[in-house]
Amino acid sequence: MNEQEFAELAAGHALHALSPDDEKAFETARRQHPDWEHLVTADAETAAVLAESVSEVAPPPAVRSALLAQIAGDTPAPVAQQAVEAENTPTAGPVKPRRWGTRSWFALAASLALLVGVGWGAVTVGERLNTPASVVALDQIESASDAQSETVTLSDGGEVTAHWSESVGKAVLVSDGLPSIADDESFELWFVRDGAAIPAGTFTSEDGTATALLEGAIESGDVIAVTVEQAGGSPTGQPTSDPIIAIETA
Amino acid sequence: MLGGVVIDGVDVPEDGADAVDHAGQLLLRVADGDQDAFARLYDMLSPRAFGLILRVLVDRSQSEEVLQEVFLEIWQSAARFAPNKGQGRSWVLTIAHRRAVDRVRSAQASTDRDVRAGFRDMDVAHDGVAEEVELRIEGQRVSEALATLPDPQREAITLAYFGGYSQSEIAALVGAPLGTIKTRMRDGLSRLRVEMGVTS
Repeated sequence: MNEQEFAELAAGHALHALSPDDEKAFETARRQHPDWEHLVTADAETAAVLAESVSEVAPPPAVRSALLAQIAGDTPAPVAQQAVEAENTPTAGPVKPRRWGTRSWFALAASLALLVGVGWGAVTVGERLNTPASVVALDQIESASDAQSETVTLSDGGEVTAHWSESVGKAVLVSDGLPSIADDESFELWFVRDGAAIPAGTFTSEDGTATALLEGAIESGDVIAVTVEQAGGSPTGQPTSDPIIAIETA
Repeated sequence: MLGGVVIDGVDVPEDGADAVDHAGQLLLRVADGDQDAFARLYDMLSPRAFGLILRVLVDRSQSEEVLQEVFLEIWQSAARFAPNKGQGRSWVLTIAHRRAVDRVRSAQASTDRDVRAGFRDMDVAHDGVAEEVELRIEGQRVSEALATLPDPQREAITLAYFGGYSQSEIAALVGAPLGTIKTRMRDGLSRLRVEMGVTS
């Protein structure tokens, strides 16, 4: 086999598209030619990038708990049996400080979204509203046919619900039990879109509750995130700290 | 920093400096039996892996089973991850993709398989098949890179990676010789590597 033929097999192997016979031929040649290994590595890396084009889908929490039980040496129950109770038993994990630069908003959002997803239900909106703009926006969102909401529970018990409607183009964050921040700090809102953070305004809260309208229009697939920044927001227009809240709206 | 390419779990600075392979660092700890690192790796990559498996398999409950198998395999075989031979996240996603394809070709998946193979029975032009799959590609960077490929190359790669079809199935599907499909895949993948700036 020459290198060109091997390169064809390596490409088919990377896409997991070889026939069993070709797969055997590939493995044999691979063992004989360590000098061709770079072709295998390059193709595998390229194929894996294709995976980045697929939308993330949060798996059911039951898979996570089954796995953790499995590796802890316990005998896990089948996933299907755990699914029902898992729906009613949201797990909250700690939000560990992490450095981000051009970094993993989506991974973080995804892991935070595992914290809990609770429906909006009949929460008493009126008690929590602070500003007229957000009242108006929340009313608009709630009366839209495509109104959606997602609630996450913070590790210290706080609860934050994002309400949004793509047809209205607005998103509002209703928070209760926010951590207290210094006088010279603000909470800053962000739309995380295609991996980039877009500033969406700041807000403060004296008693841990706040209702904030995000500036700018929400788009499909945005992640709504909140960071703690210096008063008035990050001067660079980019987050300088870890998100304390990240909610996927997909 | 803003303009840098961002892939969750990997920092890819624009200046070409070495990317920080968070998943790879976690994998090294997982290889030592670190359960906390495993949980973090799962939280970081399971939504992406699950999306990928679901794309290939379609069936949700089977996808959940495969996801669990994949991460169990990662737990058991993390010691085989070699940091000098690639990124941790691609190592994980490669396993996820392979197991999804294995499942789609297995007997349990025969029903879905028939449905998928039904593209042929429905007499859909082969252009239509690739289109169908491509319509669901969201990633801008990848779809832009795919768009630069000649149609036959894009079709071969799309059907293989997202459709889970083997080279011989694709040959039958598009009515081209097997050798031609193999060449298209190799050329297409090489070109994608350049377009997407994949380094290894």
